[in-house]
Amino acid sequence: MTPLSARTASVPVPQAETELALAGRWRVVVLNDPVNLMSYVVLVFRKVFGFDEPTARRHMLEVHELGRSVVWSGLREKAEAYVFTLQQWHLTAILEPDETR
Amino acid sequence: MKRVEVKLALSVVAPLLDLVKRTIDDLQDRLAAPQSLQDLDEDLGAAWKGELLAGQNGDCQRFLALFDSEFFASGMVAFDDTNAESVLRACAAIRLRLRDRELKSLSDEALESAGVETGHLDEAAQKAYMGYVFLATLQELIIQHLDAAILEG
Repeated sequence: MTPLSARTASVPVPQAETELALAGRWRVVVLNDPVNLMSYVVLVFRKVFGFDEPTARRHMLEVHELGRSVVWSGLREKAEAYVFTLQQWHLTAILEPDETR
Repeated sequence: MKRVEVKLALSVVAPLLDLVKRTIDDLQDRLAAPQSLQDLDEDLGAAWKGELLAGQNGDCQRFLALFDSEFFASGMVAFDDTNAESVLRACAAIRLRLRDRELKSLSDEALESAGVETGHLDEAAQKAYMGYVFLATLQELIIQHLDAAILEG
């Protein structure tokens, strides 16, 4: 069971306001940490998102140099699943609303 | 199935294992990194963390299984597609905890550049840094030799 399924099973979200907020687009953002190896972060990006090597490396360098990189955007449910998977790999990943659209 | 066997220097690695095991014990009921998700209610947040913690503990047990009687007899450890991902994640978790607990005095810049002068560290921090570097070396070995298996798995 993942937290995603836990929500479906046990925590209904009835408020219209919350539903509207969750219905928009969300960004998966990875934040820098000083511990995880660059090669490890590249591998995780390739594994989780299916990026090719140059794309994964570009995102890794963004994280390293700018402190954060937006690695995916889309519907909340899938974004949550990506954040969970990245956190399983011990990357610091957060969700934020995508206000660019 | 690709399998990588590595012979480790027993005299170097064995003394680090007590520290590694203590760190894994310390991780039994805490996440290596403070992970959460905004907008989750208390129950869902607890379920989220519980799932992460269960995965982290499973990975750490797979890591510890490397250091069995064969390792203490020959120094050999083996990686393949059945344990590579777990060992990679466990190494990350242990390194994060070592950084938080024993290597707080080191700057992020020093850690990222691997430019740590160990001479001025106390004995406990020196040992922690050796463990930190050892775990990174294992990660590099796995990534170098088993990346295809991990990506396909």
